Amino acid sequence: MDKMTEEQYRAISNMLRKRSLWMLHYCTGCGAMELPPTMTSRYDMERFGIVPYVTPRQADILLVTGYVNVKTLKRIITVYEQMLDPKYVIGFGSCAINGGIYYDSYSVINRLDAYIPVDVYIAGCMPRPEAIITMFKHLMNLIDSGKADGYKRYKQNYEFYKNNQRKVLG
Amino acid sequence: MVRTILIAIGIPLLAYGFGVSFMMFKRKIAARIQRRYGPTFIQPLIDTFKLLSKQENISHGIMYDLGPILALAASMTVIFFIPIPGMKLMTGSADLIALLYIMVIGSLVMALGAGESANPNSTIGIARALTLMLGYDLPFVIVVITLVMKYHTTDLYKIMQMQTGGHWAMWLLPLSAIVGFIVTYGALGEHPFDVAVAPHEIATGPMAEYGGKHLGLLMINHAFHIYIELALFVDLFMGGASNLFYFYAKMFVIFVIYVFFDEVLPRFRVDDAVRFYWRWPTILALLGLIIVLVR
Amino acid sequence: MDMSLGVLLATPFVGGILAYLGGKIHRWVRYTFAILFSLLAFIEIFFFYNTTVGNYVWGRLFGSVLVLQINPISWIFAFIVTGISFLVILFSINDVEGHKGLDFYYLELLFVEGAMLGITLAGDLITFFMFWELMSWTSYFLIIQGGKKSITAGYKYIIMSVIGAYSMFVAIAMVFGRAHSLVFKNVSMLLSQSSPAFVIWFFVLFGIGLFVKAAVMPLHTWLPDAHSEAPSPVSPLLSGVLIKMGAYGLTVLFYGFLSVQLIGKLAPTILPTPLLLYIVEWLAAISIVLATFLAILQEDAKRLLAYSSISQIGYVVLGIAMGSSLGIAGGLFHALNHAIFKSLLFFVIGGVIYRTGTRNMSELGGLIKKMPVSFIGALFGIVALSGVPPLNGFVSKWMIYEALLQKKEVFLLIMAFVGSTGAFLYLYRFIHSVFLGQLPEKYKDVKEVPFLMQLPIWILSALTIVFGIWPGLAMNVIAQGEKFLGITPIKYTLYGFPQGTAMSSLKVINISSVLIIAFIVVLALYLMLPKERFVSQYDTYAAGQVVTPETKYNYSYGFYMFFGRVINPIFKWSADKMYEAWARATKVFGDYMRRVYTGNLETYSSYIVVLITIVAFVLLIGGKLW
Repeated sequence: MDKMTEEQYRAISNMLRKRSLWMLHYCTGCGAMELPPTMTSRYDMERFGIVPYVTPRQADILLVTGYVNVKTLKRIITVYEQMLDPKYVIGFGSCAINGGIYYDSYSVINRLDAYIPVDVYIAGCMPRPEAIITMFKHLMNLIDSGKADGYKRYKQNYEFYKNNQRKVLG
Repeated sequence: MVRTILIAIGIPLLAYGFGVSFMMFKRKIAARIQRRYGPTFIQPLIDTFKLLSKQENISHGIMYDLGPILALAASMTVIFFIPIPGMKLMTGSADLIALLYIMVIGSLVMALGAGESANPNSTIGIARALTLMLGYDLPFVIVVITLVMKYHTTDLYKIMQMQTGGHWAMWLLPLSAIVGFIVTYGALGEHPFDVAVAPHEIATGPMAEYGGKHLGLLMINHAFHIYIELALFVDLFMGGASNLFYFYAKMFVIFVIYVFFDEVLPRFRVDDAVRFYWRWPTILALLGLIIVLVR
Repeated sequence: MDMSLGVLLATPFVGGILAYLGGKIHRWVRYTFAILFSLLAFIEIFFFYNTTVGNYVWGRLFGSVLVLQINPISWIFAFIVTGISFLVILFSINDVEGHKGLDFYYLELLFVEGAMLGITLAGDLITFFMFWELMSWTSYFLIIQGGKKSITAGYKYIIMSVIGAYSMFVAIAMVFGRAHSLVFKNVSMLLSQSSPAFVIWFFVLFGIGLFVKAAVMPLHTWLPDAHSEAPSPVSPLLSGVLIKMGAYGLTVLFYGFLSVQLIGKLAPTILPTPLLLYIVEWLAAISIVLATFLAILQEDAKRLLAYSSISQIGYVVLGIAMGSSLGIAGGLFHALNHAIFKSLLFFVIGGVIYRTGTRNMSELGGLIKKMPVSFIGALFGIVALSGVPPLNGFVSKWMIYEALLQKKEVFLLIMAFVGSTGAFLYLYRFIHSVFLGQLPEKYKDVKEVPFLMQLPIWILSALTIVFGIWPGLAMNVIAQGEKFLGITPIKYTLYGFPQGTAMSSLKVINISSVLIIAFIVVLALYLMLPKERFVSQYDTYAAGQVVTPETKYNYSYGFYMFFGRVINPIFKWSADKMYEAWARATKVFGDYMRRVYTGNLETYSSYIVVLITIVAFVLLIGGKLW
């Protein structure tokens, strides 16, 4: 009985979570350029319950849109740690994946997921709105099946992430 | 006795239902105005329950927790003193003047809660909200006095009864009704009077540090708030209603007009909002008052 | 029974002298006497509950008897005086510990109490005036103990008081010239038979003396300085009690010496209220609005509360001057309530000053975690003051509003309402800047105030609830008092007001019980949800920036700057500047006049010659100038 209710509770809460994703877009690079068309009338991501929000306390998704350098990484980590569980991170565009065209810059972080756990990466330079919506759909599926567990991984491997962060930030 | 208990449970549920339905319609209508498809109809409910089911919650202190709780409790108190067709419970315990003060409890306690979060954005938001309140209070008081002078009572039920049969205060006191509309608009905090929240300037103001279940309670409170402001307007100016359907229909009409304004207007600066309220609405309200007094 | 009034009045004076002498032996002897006698006076008051004792003759002066009396109206004020004074003495023990001249301090404190008690018990004008002057002077000595700035503030206070007292003295002399007996009953008999001009002069001259003490605009200028510069325990006494003496005097003047009918006969009535009272009402309403706006823009916590006092005493005077049963009851009840919550707020800020040493609001913040009891006191104080149910300020403000509505004095009502909404602004600013927001690093070791300083906060907080939920307790006395004044007493129940008293009925218990039930329901819902964890105040949204203890991440200075932009045009004019301009003009005039005195003997003799010529000329044309 207890197990059943717990499972049902998880299913219901996962359903609620995937239908209501509030995002915090951390506009580090040019990636944010493609978000306004996604929000506005042509693509309208509010259809899926995805709404931009302002502060990390309120948001569920952290969008890292574009390249991350050492200075911004510190802010990203602060913001990520201020968000409330369950929280998801999306690496947005090729810059977030491997540094993109800035891969050999002295200040750019090449791998975002060495510092904070990333749930979904989305390729492209820039990813088009269609790609963004596909990505959100994918994230929803992950949440539904319980595989979007970045926040759990961050807690489990806290030392690992902190070590990596310390190496860069000093 | 059973009936009393049923009504006591029914009134908050009804008010929440009404309020949430307005929140649903708001997002849908807004989307259509912007030529979007818009979210699912029950999106506000999903949002609320998602927030309530957040696994992690933070707190800055006892007052921070008590803020949303007491704000919601205060809103639930207010709805018992606003007449709803067919549900009489608290007749004669608080009149219009007392109601104006009961309505303030929620915002005051919420302000204290937001204050404890030690975030300047919250504080600025509250300072703005209180200033705006002082702004729209002046015309609103004049309107309330006009109504009392017209009907010679401060009892909301009696004011409502005297308007039955199409003798709405809206037709008899058009100037006051217009001012009442503008004031209710400010009290709802929609554009152009959303200085207190202003997400792009001060990060949603009082809510800046609120997340998770606290924010969920505040969303429930927002539904109550919409209901309270609209129900008060309907009771004061549109003669209340004989049954729940008409009550809802009247509120809905007013609400749709709000949404239309909300979607197309920009935002006032806070001192400009106060200046606005102390100029035209006040002059109109005074004119309406003088007409009633002279007659 | 007659003698007992003398005993009651003597109690604080004897206590003061004993405390002074006891202080020479040991400090605890001093404290024991001070606490014991102030408590004794408070207990003695209850023997006079709902009784009217008249005409205890305690002396003779200039052929007039000096009389003590007590009635329900003076009982209310005597209750305030003795109650708050007792708490002030409790609060003083820790607060002013280690200062110089403490024996003298307690002597003064008890003498102020005795003087104010004397005012409420006075049965004739001479006794009234004697104690009035005693109150002014002893409180002056208390005010100037607050440091360097307080000396100028006290100077301003005593000058204004003396001007008021002279004005009052002239009024008393006018009556004395005609009546030869200054017992209140004779005075009211004389005034009812006198010509209107005489009564108006008496009203204005006596009224100015009272207005100075009640700090009704434009005679308020002493109050913000004196209240903010006085030592912390003295401020509650000044704000809670001393300015109420003005309100008591006005009640006696309007309805003891005169009556609504008599004032109505003085001038043609076209308004709902007699003209003289109507002017007083307007002065009070202007006080409410302007003082509220001034309080919003203050940076100093005590100054903010001082301006708030001007505004709240405006409600009291507005209610008392209304002349209707509900209005007077509202005004008197508000006087009682204001004594409770304003003293509470001053005690709280006194405790904060005691622990932190500053009253500049932009330097404070976040003290809620360090001083929770003070925070609770401040919370009750601001909720009561802002007139929000279920605390006591709500009921009295509601009564005043309803009374104004009954009399259709709509413009006064608008001003009263705006003043009340403005109160939310400055009260929130007060509690936020002191107790909420970011805790500065330098105050991280601040502790809660000691027990004796907490005690007044607890007692007064409890009283705000008691009078908020059971207003009938206070109405009991007030209705008796109204009967004594010859006004139809208001109808009341324990929990509110039945139909017919006001525009509608009120049951405070319903509001508070619904609020409590709703709170329990929501709290239950809240507790079912996932637990929260506490985070530090530096873990806060700053757009990704890390907030460190060195950063001041707080909004506190110039809190309502944007509102200031709206209302600043009004404050180009101020009463203070007006008085200063007046003083400057007098000085310039005096300088010109001084040129007359050249010091030259010939000039003087020529003046005399000119004067004699003029007098001779006047006599020549028959002794008449025109």
